[in-house]
Amino acid sequence: MSELSRRGFLTLSAASLAACTFRPGVAVNRYAPGMAEGHALRDHPVLPAPSAEISIDTVILGSGVAGLTAGWRLAREGFNDFMLVAGPELGGNATGGQLGGVAYPRGAHYLPLPGPSLGYVREILAEMGVIESGTDQARPYYDERVLVHSPEERLYFDGQWHEGLVPPGANTEEEAQHRRFFAYVDQLKQQRGNDGRRVFEIPSALSSQDPAWLALDLLTFDAWLDRNGYTAPRLRWYLDYACRDDFGTTSARASAWAGLHYFASRIGQAANAADEAVLTWPDGLSPVTRHLAAKVGPKRMLAGMAARVTERNGKVEALVWQPEQQRTVLIHARKAICAMPLHVASHVVKALPQYGFDAGKHMPPHAPWLVANFLFDHFPTEAQGAPLSWDNVVYGSKSLGYVVATHQLIRAARPETTVFSAYHALADSTPEAGRRWLASASDDDLYALATGDLATVYGWKLWHNASRVEITLRGHAMASPTPGFRSNAGLRALQQADGPILFAHSDLSGFSIFEEAAWWGDQAARRILQA
Amino acid sequence: MLQTYNLGPPLNRILILSVFVVASCGLAYELIAGALTSYLLGDSVLQFSTIIGCYLFAMGVGSHFSKYVKEERALTAFVEIELLVGLIGGLSATLLFLVFAWAATPFRSVMYALVFVIGVLVGMEIPLVMRVLNTRQAEFKELVSRVLTFDYLGALAVSLLFPLVLAPHLGLARTGLLFGALNAAVALWTCWSFRHEVIGMAGKLTRAAVVLLVLVVAFAFSDRMTTLAEKGLFGDDTIHAETTPYQRIVVTKWHDDMRLYLNGNLQFSSRDEHRYHEALVHPVLAAMPWAKRVLVLGGGDGLALREILRYPNIEHVTLVDLDPAMTKLFSSAAPLVALNQGSLKNPRATVINADAAQWLESNSEVFDAIIIDFPDPTNFALGKLYSVPMYRLVARHLSENGLAVVQSTSPYFAPNSYWCVDVTLHEAGFHTWPYHAYVPSFGEWGFILAAKHDHYRPPEQYALKMQFLDATSTQLMFLFPPDMQRRQVEPNRLNTQSLVHYFEADWHNVIR
Repeated sequence: MSELSRRGFLTLSAASLAACTFRPGVAVNRYAPGMAEGHALRDHPVLPAPSAEISIDTVILGSGVAGLTAGWRLAREGFNDFMLVAGPELGGNATGGQLGGVAYPRGAHYLPLPGPSLGYVREILAEMGVIESGTDQARPYYDERVLVHSPEERLYFDGQWHEGLVPPGANTEEEAQHRRFFAYVDQLKQQRGNDGRRVFEIPSALSSQDPAWLALDLLTFDAWLDRNGYTAPRLRWYLDYACRDDFGTTSARASAWAGLHYFASRIGQAANAADEAVLTWPDGLSPVTRHLAAKVGPKRMLAGMAARVTERNGKVEALVWQPEQQRTVLIHARKAICAMPLHVASHVVKALPQYGFDAGKHMPPHAPWLVANFLFDHFPTEAQGAPLSWDNVVYGSKSLGYVVATHQLIRAARPETTVFSAYHALADSTPEAGRRWLASASDDDLYALATGDLATVYGWKLWHNASRVEITLRGHAMASPTPGFRSNAGLRALQQADGPILFAHSDLSGFSIFEEAAWWGDQAARRILQA
Repeated sequence: MLQTYNLGPPLNRILILSVFVVASCGLAYELIAGALTSYLLGDSVLQFSTIIGCYLFAMGVGSHFSKYVKEERALTAFVEIELLVGLIGGLSATLLFLVFAWAATPFRSVMYALVFVIGVLVGMEIPLVMRVLNTRQAEFKELVSRVLTFDYLGALAVSLLFPLVLAPHLGLARTGLLFGALNAAVALWTCWSFRHEVIGMAGKLTRAAVVLLVLVVAFAFSDRMTTLAEKGLFGDDTIHAETTPYQRIVVTKWHDDMRLYLNGNLQFSSRDEHRYHEALVHPVLAAMPWAKRVLVLGGGDGLALREILRYPNIEHVTLVDLDPAMTKLFSSAAPLVALNQGSLKNPRATVINADAAQWLESNSEVFDAIIIDFPDPTNFALGKLYSVPMYRLVARHLSENGLAVVQSTSPYFAPNSYWCVDVTLHEAGFHTWPYHAYVPSFGEWGFILAAKHDHYRPPEQYALKMQFLDATSTQLMFLFPPDMQRRQVEPNRLNTQSLVHYFEADWHNVIR
């Protein structure tokens, strides 16, 4: 990346340094869902003997998108003999919060328009009223309040804002490369393998198994780009940004298959929006998980987290630890849907190796993330160029820009307060090093990292506008698809597992998007329903 | 204090007193620039900090430059600098007003450049005076003490006079001119007192006289010049100008024509507003003599409200306008209250200051008629008020037999925008009846009447006396001649905001 000049780098680091040392009156509030509980479980705590026992047909362990979708499907099909153990954070990566009356995301914040293969996602959206009609048509009609409003995105480049996220090429040669790349991935959208399936499908499980295309998974995205002559630095920055944004890793580490999947898999359309439109709510995807949770119903939810899951006589026993009550509950179930991330499951599910998953060999790398929510007392003054958009990204930055929580409000005047949500994946070190840093970072360190892009854009005015900051720390935010992830035998085994324990989590796909998590939840529920 | 203080020989005394004046002037320019910029751009902490910073820095630069003035020319240079400061500083506020009126973009650059130049000149004053006194064999410790004492006294005087007396009574432009004149007077006085030492005496005196004359003339015509600045924008005399958190409100008057501008866009002219407001209100209300409850969105000028309140059957009108300054102005300023006949204070009307969609979202009241009179969709935020979800929200507040009307830009000048509003209302589930009227100050203007039912008929008579509408012209309003025919356009969806793009392109074509 020769384009990222030394001057640019120095400006960026100086800006973040200034922000870090200068935050009078800005209180930093840390939020690390599941961190304490997870570490306690890892360290083999001595738990009290069960104070209650419950017998049930199916228990779902985990309340992220996968677990909630499984519960939603069971409830929707009239299957009542199940319960869901909520785990440390209802909604998992798709949760949100509230600051000063403004709802904001604490993780995933948008959903691309679901294509025809995502019937289960469309079902959820139709039930929510987000799809108003044409659920099974190529172009369903959506509730416009949820379709991202214009202006959608902009890029801070050369001290000015430009519409869209792709930087302009530096010269005609680079422009030509940009065009060639986007034409190629556009054509890949319809590309089918020798088994007749789309090469890049969402859910990824339905992608073609054609070895000629799967060979892409042996390369890093960077290697593939080099090999195909995509060397334009600005294009490469953008593609690296895309990998960080969706996979929590760099284009140097991501699998080429995954890198191309990002661009070639999404073919959803709407009757009343542009093709690239996405669905978003002020608090990200939180309304979707809240809807799913409501359909599961509070009566079927059990607080606490699975501490030990064992098989006995072809049945499952799950010991649920309820740290607030200082007690445990033992659940006897015919089937369990293990909807936890695999780094947790590897400590909790003793039989994981018997299911063919060797944590030492098969564990996908989990990227650490920061999601920083800044409460702004008033909107900051903007630089020249494109107006404040929903998604605002800084060219050359290693952070992922920020979204504006109040963007979707229908208001003639700007609201008095707003929240900017800045995202940063710790993608430049190994995940382990990133987690060590997160664990030891001071408030100033976290603030400096979290404000990177905002400091570049707004400079010293940032502390003038921001009065509170909440930083969500996710040590194991998402699985990163590195080369070989498509042929990971351990993941393959868990995907197909059909014993007393079924598995459902985006980790099974090797990368973390709503559609993948919901897919595995839906699949697991369908297996229960078939039995 | 002056009596007891030893000021030294008379000529030195003159120099020391001039320090007092010069210091006041220096601080005054800084305060004027800060106040004026805060007034025009807002964010006073930012403006004052940066201006003071720039000014002090420039003074440092000036002090540095002062060393390049040769010893024998120090007094002459002082006189020249006084004249320059007087001219530039004196005219600075007036100049900034004019720059802001004609083009807002270079305003900051011009302002900082002016502050810098004045700062450099002011920065040279004190060092030069000290050098002059030094060569006149004043004792150094006495010299420093006296000069600085009067420097700071001058600052104290002006820092009290400026906010308490000068700014409120003279205004910023004239305060600037007054201090400019003081600078020039110091120059003149120094020149005269040291007539044997100053080089090129006659030229200096002439120049001082010219500067003084310019400033005095400018002072006399200052009021005219500031109004001229807004006149440059609006063409007429301004009777009210105010910047609110939401917009710049300007009301102008020329003979019997009163005009309202919001952010520089004409909202009405009192000469023909009756055409606009009759056309906006009566095709709806004359068709529903049973109507009791009406909602007005926008329309903070109270003129649509005035027309609505003419119907005795209307029991209550709720008016929701974003800007409290707007409704306050139109319910308190006498000529404006005369125009809207005090409609905003009418007991049958409730005025609510809120963002329209927010109010609709948080209320469940249903109305027989909804009159929508928003500003044109010139930006994405205003575009949201013309969108499918907004109209669906409106539909939730409209009774099954009710009627709504939307001011919809010009079907002649902005045909794509106009028909875009129509298809957007359709998309939101309304039946629509587009119509138009000629309003001389706007040109051909468009409205769209909308209902949940499909059996609206334009009124065939008006029970109330109209200035503009009659049965025949009403029928014609609903007909569109060939040059205003319907266009095939996309509805204004929030994902694309086509209306904002159409509006920009439409008016670009007109202006070109």
